[in-house]
Amino acid sequence: MTIVYVLLGTIFGFVLSRSGAADYDYIQGMFLFERFQLYGIIGTAVALTAPGLWLIKRRGLTLAGRPIKIELKAMHRGNVLGGLLFGIGWSIAGMCPGPILVNIGEGKVYALAALAGALVGAGAFGVFYPALQAPLHMPPLKVGPGEG
Amino acid sequence: MPLILHDLPPIHWAIAGAGIAAVTLALMLLASRRLGLSTGFEDVCSLVLSQPYFRRSAVTDGRGWRLPLLAGLLIGGFVSAATGGGWSPTWALGMLDQTLALGPLGKLAWMFVGGLFIGFGTRLAGGCTSGHGIFGLSNFELPSLITTVSFMAGGILTTQILYRLVLHP
Repeated sequence: MTIVYVLLGTIFGFVLSRSGAADYDYIQGMFLFERFQLYGIIGTAVALTAPGLWLIKRRGLTLAGRPIKIELKAMHRGNVLGGLLFGIGWSIAGMCPGPILVNIGEGKVYALAALAGALVGAGAFGVFYPALQAPLHMPPLKVGPGEG
Repeated sequence: MPLILHDLPPIHWAIAGAGIAAVTLALMLLASRRLGLSTGFEDVCSLVLSQPYFRRSAVTDGRGWRLPLLAGLLIGGFVSAATGGGWSPTWALGMLDQTLALGPLGKLAWMFVGGLFIGFGTRLAGGCTSGHGIFGLSNFELPSLITTVSFMAGGILTTQILYRLVLHP
């Protein structure tokens, strides 16, 4: 299966790279309301994923016959606050998480710094989670057995 | 408008959107995997950090498929550059070059700061453009709608301030 995930990621990355979704100017053009491209991409992706997802959930099984299980995202104050912070970062870097990797793959050297920043940011969040959890009404941690 | 990458013409948005939908649905139909890229930052962190947050089952159960997917994104970018005019390291940064014209060190600092916001923000919000914006909206999840509106607002506000008020090209 690992190779399938690599392949799907490669297709995803190629599409992001060639469509403008991993392009600094197209991201700014979206936020400036000067370019429709990114709105078209995200809109089309949602418009096609929604009915497909509905069908897959109705089927209830993967192709291999295992049950479909979708873990829903939690609702808490972090949705708004974190969303705002992420939006600021998306604007500054001109990349969201996937395109950071795509830009590195393309050879854009500065994207390495965006990745380093993102890892430090995510790491800091995890370290401070116990302190942030209560005030932001986030769910308590579900720690899995052993592995980590 | 051409892409920064080799001045290539971008593919049509409808084709790109369909491609993203196809990958999202394939992950679900093949293995019941919920698309979400920013969780991959946690997967990488979990390799070196041992706080309880990085020992959640969402992380430990997910890195086996998410890390290969992220590796694919790197390869996809590489293939795109290699087949679209050749791969070579570049510092080109479009509009920012025409306005701020930062040197390499300045660009690294700029991007690192952006990355901090992205890493901390996406984890606080519980997802990014893919997990909330594509998958969550497609699955009609309210937290995803709230988050998507919030990150679009944050991005619009920042870019409008930056390019209409501060840099004013």
